[in-house]
Amino acid sequence: MANSNLPRRIIKETQRLLSEPAPGISASPSEDNMRYFNVMILGPTQSPYEGGVFKLELFLPEEYPMAAPKVRFLTKIYHPNIDKLGRICLDILKDKWSPALQIRTVLLSIQALLSAPNPDDPLSENIAKHWKSNEAEAVETAKEWTRLYASGA
Amino acid sequence: MDSEDDMHDAHDMESLEDDDFYSGDTEEGAMDYYSDYDDDAGDYFDDADKIESRRPEQNFTILKESDIRVRQEDDIDRVAAVLSVSRVAASILLRHHNWSVSKVHDAWFADEERVRKAVGLLEKPVVQHPNTSELTCGICFENYPRSGIGMASCGHPYCFSCWEGYISTSINDGPGCLMLRCPEPTCGAAIGQDMIDLLACNEDKEKYARYLRRSYIEDNKKSKWCPAPGCEYAVTFDAGGGNYDVSCLCSYSFCWNCTEEAHRPVDCGTVVKWIMKNSAESENMNWILANSKPCPKCKRPIEKNQGCMHITCTPPCKFEFCWLCLGAWSDHGERTGGFYACNRYEAAKQEGVYDDTERRREMAKNSLERYTHYYERWASNQSSRQKALADLEQMQNVHIEKLSDTQCQPESQLKFITEAWLQIVECRRVLKWTYAYGYYLPEHEGAKKQFFEYLQGEAESGLERLHQCAEKELQQFLTAEGQSKEFNDFRTKLAGLTSVTKNYFENLVRALENGLSDVDANGASFSKATSSKNAAGSSKGRAGRGKGALRTNRTSDDTHWSCEHCTSVNVKSATTCQICNQRR
Ligand SMILES: [Zn+2]
Ligand SMILES: [Zn+2]
Ligand SMILES: [Zn+2]
Ligand SMILES: [Zn+2]
Ligand SMILES: [Zn+2]
Ligand SMILES: [Zn+2]
Ligand SMILES: [Zn+2]
Repeated sequence: MANSNLPRRIIKETQRLLSEPAPGISASPSEDNMRYFNVMILGPTQSPYEGGVFKLELFLPEEYPMAAPKVRFLTKIYHPNIDKLGRICLDILKDKWSPALQIRTVLLSIQALLSAPNPDDPLSENIAKHWKSNEAEAVETAKEWTRLYASGA
Repeated sequence: MDSEDDMHDAHDMESLEDDDFYSGDTEEGAMDYYSDYDDDAGDYFDDADKIESRRPEQNFTILKESDIRVRQEDDIDRVAAVLSVSRVAASILLRHHNWSVSKVHDAWFADEERVRKAVGLLEKPVVQHPNTSELTCGICFENYPRSGIGMASCGHPYCFSCWEGYISTSINDGPGCLMLRCPEPTCGAAIGQDMIDLLACNEDKEKYARYLRRSYIEDNKKSKWCPAPGCEYAVTFDAGGGNYDVSCLCSYSFCWNCTEEAHRPVDCGTVVKWIMKNSAESENMNWILANSKPCPKCKRPIEKNQGCMHITCTPPCKFEFCWLCLGAWSDHGERTGGFYACNRYEAAKQEGVYDDTERRREMAKNSLERYTHYYERWASNQSSRQKALADLEQMQNVHIEKLSDTQCQPESQLKFITEAWLQIVECRRVLKWTYAYGYYLPEHEGAKKQFFEYLQGEAESGLERLHQCAEKELQQFLTAEGQSKEFNDFRTKLAGLTSVTKNYFENLVRALENGLSDVDANGASFSKATSSKNAAGSSKGRAGRGKGALRTNRTSDDTHWSCEHCTSVNVKSATTCQICNQRR
């Protein structure tokens, strides 16, 4: 099985995620694959995503922690650094990854990205353009999407 | 004893200079063979050009692998000594400053603390582990005794197997591993070669060392690898001199600035434009590259297998023609007193040469036709050059030895043959680029264009003579059974042609690099001179060459004087006539 010789590090990280979860974040491993996590992040207060509950999937590849985890939004979200497939533009998931980082730090960084969108390093060209040309209107759209796609349940 | 040796040395020097002097004499002898070339086209290059054309001191150095190693180690030693830091630290500092010793020194002495922070050279650990017998690895979270844990200057603890994985991932990611930092994202402590050698597997250590060596060339603004495929030499270049041509020990010549093959007299921008143009037109040009054409007389396909453009169809036809324009050679050749004018696009077009075949008619679109003219000549000189390179090799490896036997000459006496071929290779290169130059000469600068085509035409015909002499006239001696009386005449002729062609091309390069600035001053007289030459081209015979017209024109300007004794035109600064040696 995929879970048979799970590295000690993954077991420890999982235990800690379950016993001391970070505020606004939950992550639990899937029952049949301990490398696959179901993640939920609450939209940060004072952001356009406030009140939303965003589902993500996180997968730890074979090379983890030498290689970064793979993370993707499952909930539709209007954000300049997240594309319509839910892929995330975040440096620590790419060239800035370090094996000293953890699942927890990755999820906290994603939460921070929701509070501070960065339209200068966009993944979604159109949303970024919208954000730069008319931020107020873009924020309204983001709120609208949060209401439509991320409102609990 | 010592002083006697010195005397010998001095004497040797003198005799060397004597040799030079005599070889200078041969050059003059060659003018007989080459008088056309030198006394009118040569005139256009005035004294100033000749002085400038002396090559500046060589401003590049070729480095072999061992040289690279020595230089890199020296630089590291120097920085380590001046800054009183370890060699590993010196190497990290140099890598971060593009291997510039002076930049490291400047930055360090301006603000050591800032530099240390930027490159990750810590003075003391950021975490300490007093009195703990066990430490937890920050990557695998396992506990290890202290002896099972490695740390950089910062003190962040990782087990050996995690270090190895971390380092290996980075090294296999590419040369970025030379800037490796501690795994802890908030730390930034540099991981140098000492850590690599301690913690990585052998394969990774070697890779790292190779990246470090390569970085010394690739990240250094003053050095580059030779771009020739398979060549492992590097070049360092010192700015100044205004000439970017570099020739590597592997015999490849390239431009330091743009790393395309050497392209004097054309500038880098023109080369880029021309190469892009070629790739845009490449489909249309494919047919041109086919190396066979029908004989213009008997229509049998002829394959060009010699370097020069003078083609003779196989018997019984034996028609002699020009490969480029398919016109009869008798209309080009020196024997008729005409001149080799195959570079002249306008003339060729008017004569209707381009309506020859169906295929060309399809390409009647004017711009493409114009481009085709230049491209074909550019490409022909390119392939002639390739052929000449192969011939040169054949000459060096096979023929020289054989000739040395049959002609009873030591090989050192046959150097003139290799020199001739080296010159042909270089001239083909220059001539090739003059076609890119010509293509981009503005149409409206009529006088400049005419002057350019005149110079190019002279260059072309001169080179054809040299190429033909080295290729065809040499042939008889290669097949000869024994010594031939004519061999010494051949030597004088070939050596003379080589030297005159060399001078002509050096001046040509200079003139084109100066943007043909001569024409601006003398535009009118040049256009007159060339047009009278043009007209003369069709009326055969020596007098018809238009020299008279040319001379009269030249004497009327104040940069030249006409010799009373032989009527030759001389540059103003010459006090004796260059042809008859009489005083002015
Ligand atoms: Zn470990
Ligand atoms: Zn550290
Ligand atoms: Zn080379
Ligand atoms: Zn260049
Ligand atoms: Zn024929
Ligand atoms: Zn021709
Ligand atoms: Zn004279």
